[in-house]
Amino acid sequence: MSSELRVEHLRKVFSVGNPPVEKAAIDTVSFTVAAGEIVVLLGPSGCGKTTTLRCVAGLEHPTSGRIVIGGTAYTDPAAGVLVPPRSRNLGMVFQSYAVWPHMTVRQNVAYPLRARKTPRAEQARAVQEALDLVELAAYADRPVTQLSGGQMQRVALARAMVYHPQILLLDEPLSNLDAQLRLRLRDDLRRIIKRAGLTALYVTHDQTEAVVLGDRIGVMRDGKLLQLDTPREIYNRPADLFVAGFTGATNVIDGSVRGSRDGFAVIEARSGEILLARHGSGLHDGAAAKVALRPDNIAFEPATPGPNRFTARVASQHYQGTQTVYELDVLGTTLEAMEVGSAARWEVGAQVTIGLPPELCWSYGG
Amino acid sequence: MVDGHAASLHDVQATSGRAIAPGRTQHPWLRWLWSGLLIAALAFLVIYPTAMLLLGALTTTNPVVEGVALSDVSIGNFLTVARNPNVLLALANSMIACGGGTLLAVAIGLAFAWVVVRTNTPCKALIASAGMLPLFVPPLVAGVAWAILGSPRTGLINLMLAKIGIPWRFDLYSMSGMIFVFGIYYAPYVYMFTAAALRNMDPSLEEAAEISGASPARTIATVTFPLILPAIISGMLLSFVVMLGIYGIPATLGTPANIPVLTTYIFALTAWSPPLYNTAAAVAVILMIVTGMLVFAQQKVLSGRSYTTVAGKAFRPRALNLGPWRFLTLGLAIVYLLVVVVLPSLALLIAAFRKFLFIRDIPSLFDMKQYGWQHFIKMFDNPLTITSIINSMEVGLITAVVGGVLAFAIGYTTTRTRAPLRRTIDMITTIPVAIPGLVIGVAYLWAWIGLPGGLYGTLWILALAFVARFIPDTVKALSTSLMQIHKELEEAAWICGRGLLGTVFSVVLPLARPGVVAAMTLLFILAIRELGSSLFLYSSGTMVMAVQLLGYYEGGNIGITAAFSLVQMVLLGLLIGATNLLSRGAARGVVRSG
Repeated sequence: MSSELRVEHLRKVFSVGNPPVEKAAIDTVSFTVAAGEIVVLLGPSGCGKTTTLRCVAGLEHPTSGRIVIGGTAYTDPAAGVLVPPRSRNLGMVFQSYAVWPHMTVRQNVAYPLRARKTPRAEQARAVQEALDLVELAAYADRPVTQLSGGQMQRVALARAMVYHPQILLLDEPLSNLDAQLRLRLRDDLRRIIKRAGLTALYVTHDQTEAVVLGDRIGVMRDGKLLQLDTPREIYNRPADLFVAGFTGATNVIDGSVRGSRDGFAVIEARSGEILLARHGSGLHDGAAAKVALRPDNIAFEPATPGPNRFTARVASQHYQGTQTVYELDVLGTTLEAMEVGSAARWEVGAQVTIGLPPELCWSYGG
Repeated sequence: MVDGHAASLHDVQATSGRAIAPGRTQHPWLRWLWSGLLIAALAFLVIYPTAMLLLGALTTTNPVVEGVALSDVSIGNFLTVARNPNVLLALANSMIACGGGTLLAVAIGLAFAWVVVRTNTPCKALIASAGMLPLFVPPLVAGVAWAILGSPRTGLINLMLAKIGIPWRFDLYSMSGMIFVFGIYYAPYVYMFTAAALRNMDPSLEEAAEISGASPARTIATVTFPLILPAIISGMLLSFVVMLGIYGIPATLGTPANIPVLTTYIFALTAWSPPLYNTAAAVAVILMIVTGMLVFAQQKVLSGRSYTTVAGKAFRPRALNLGPWRFLTLGLAIVYLLVVVVLPSLALLIAAFRKFLFIRDIPSLFDMKQYGWQHFIKMFDNPLTITSIINSMEVGLITAVVGGVLAFAIGYTTTRTRAPLRRTIDMITTIPVAIPGLVIGVAYLWAWIGLPGGLYGTLWILALAFVARFIPDTVKALSTSLMQIHKELEEAAWICGRGLLGTVFSVVLPLARPGVVAAMTLLFILAIRELGSSLFLYSSGTMVMAVQLLGYYEGGNIGITAAFSLVQMVLLGLLIGATNLLSRGAARGVVRSG
């Protein structure tokens, strides 16, 4: 039932300003979502992720490129192919829920089936199944306006899945919910999609949402797809400085390349100290480099000896209850470090030895 | 904390001798006094005249000759009138004219809203603002213009048709003529409601239907239309109610064809000799009951089924790409503007400046020798013209000042204080919504005609009737601008030791100034164009513009009527322009002081 989605060299260009300047909302994006897989497009607002999703839905028209679902091209401007949304057999969950306020829960969910002229008995069975899946069976005959935000979102999900679409599209479906509900629905969502065995393309700007939900994550910026990989790879092998920063590797150490040792790049920081880091692409000897590192990967007073040991001075301490964030003066810059636990061990002004694991330090051209 | 603050407030007031303090002092009698004053003012303006009207409808005594007597009050008197076939005919005519007009207004307004909000028709911003112009045209002027264009024998359009050799004629002196003019002039009401609903609708509601597999037609039928239905019904009821209370259009188009509607029938009753004031009151009560039910229905529709969207963000409505068809929609919009703005204006200009309205052939239409200022000169030779203009200005000024001050006091009391009975005050304030202007006129007639040496025959009775008529809208507008001023701005002034009145004058009033200025100028404009209630309240010394214009029209001199219509339109245009400038200046003032 669920199909593979192939997006090939997708480009969408529009003109802005006066005189008009061409700007690419989507800049040659290609990726494939395997049948039954969940791919999350992650990026800041305006990066083109929602536009990509809407192109797949057929709600927007790309300038060039192809969208192939289950082996059939649904969008191919070069060949004059543009299948309207209603004939694509896709399901979509909108950011604003978009449940129809003048209908009951059941009417909302049955709507796609009625548009498809499904036989009545079959309709009732499918609606019941979809409502059971999202655990709203008890609310079937309520007007949707009486539901909470989370319930409305689940109505939207049931409506999008009731006709077993080829692909499920989700456009920031959790961003209008409050924080606690978001956490719960996030886990539910993956379970429900997986149980239904649907191929899903999910758009969000929230990295934790992306990690929990996605089989693979595609990080986008300025219309380009920077990296598409499993959450583990994205977090531990970010392809560039932006992906590193966007997924939380907010520390950046400036330096220059001084050869390599033990398979690592040797970077001389501005303080003159030497640190080892993973090779980034296109870094040659003597080139300026930036090393990205997550705050939670900095070890305080490591027990075992190893490379990348430095003495840092605690510049400030931000106690957050279950964790403490420190600002450390080290390597000619200020690094943010995080230590889990309700005890804050280091006071401002203290000298502390820190260890930066070389396999978690990533160097990029600067 | 609160107590101490209230005490200091009281001290400041006690030492500076300021007595009136709604809601926040420790002296409950002061708050009761203030609420009592407001209720007394509203009782004087609204309740007493309405009660007199009801009394008039239930008696047969003549208020002028015999005074008001409670002796023969009986529901039978009212029922006798309500069963009169002439009354029923007028009621039926009103229903047909307003019902037909409403249907036409819905068709035009809905189409207009769709073109402006949902298509890529060129120049739609311009179309949208030009489409609101009919709202500013007084109904009597619209009626006069269309009488000039479409009277069966001498109408300009019919003369043209005869010249071209087309045997078919327009006859606007008819039921369909009234329906047509009602429909095209009140379409903006429907447009305003439906355009707002279309604009505020989350576009993903329709996208969701499309994704679900619905065709465009199915999407419109099952999603778009049901969602804007409350707005359509609400706009429909509003325009019906407004049409029901209009006098100018039926008077110019219906009366020549002997088609009485409720409003013209009521006036005819008081113009009878001797005047049938009791019957007029009874018919006015019928009109008030019908209006009241419709207003109630509209409130129900508005409160019950308004589908506010979940996300509180601004949407960019989806504009349908019409391709080359967008020039067709542009063309239709231009035709509407032509019919509703250009044609009537041309008719008035030609009639006002041409020596004789008879047009022999097309070239003579452009013969400049045929044009001149003679109608204007004749018009101003009549001393009543100038008197009526001066009187209108005076009445407008009194209405704006009295209405503005009262509306501000009521608005502040009901939205900002905890004064006693403020819900009652609010409720009484909304009563006139359900009373057409003409009915207010009859009610004021009943309230004051029997009292010797009273208000009757002065400009004040006109102004007070206008204040009563427009108080609901004025209070609503002012309350909105008051609610935009954060409560803490006031509290900050109290903490700084200001008294309540001091706070109102130093903080609230300056911040609310754009709203107050706008409300007062709107009152001024509404007052000088009001015809319905003026009809019953003017006397020879207190002639006002709208009534004088009707006099010229009924006197049969089309040239002078057109000239005076133009004078009124120019005056209104200048006033509206000045209002825009003023409120913009006032808004800048707030930016500076804030």
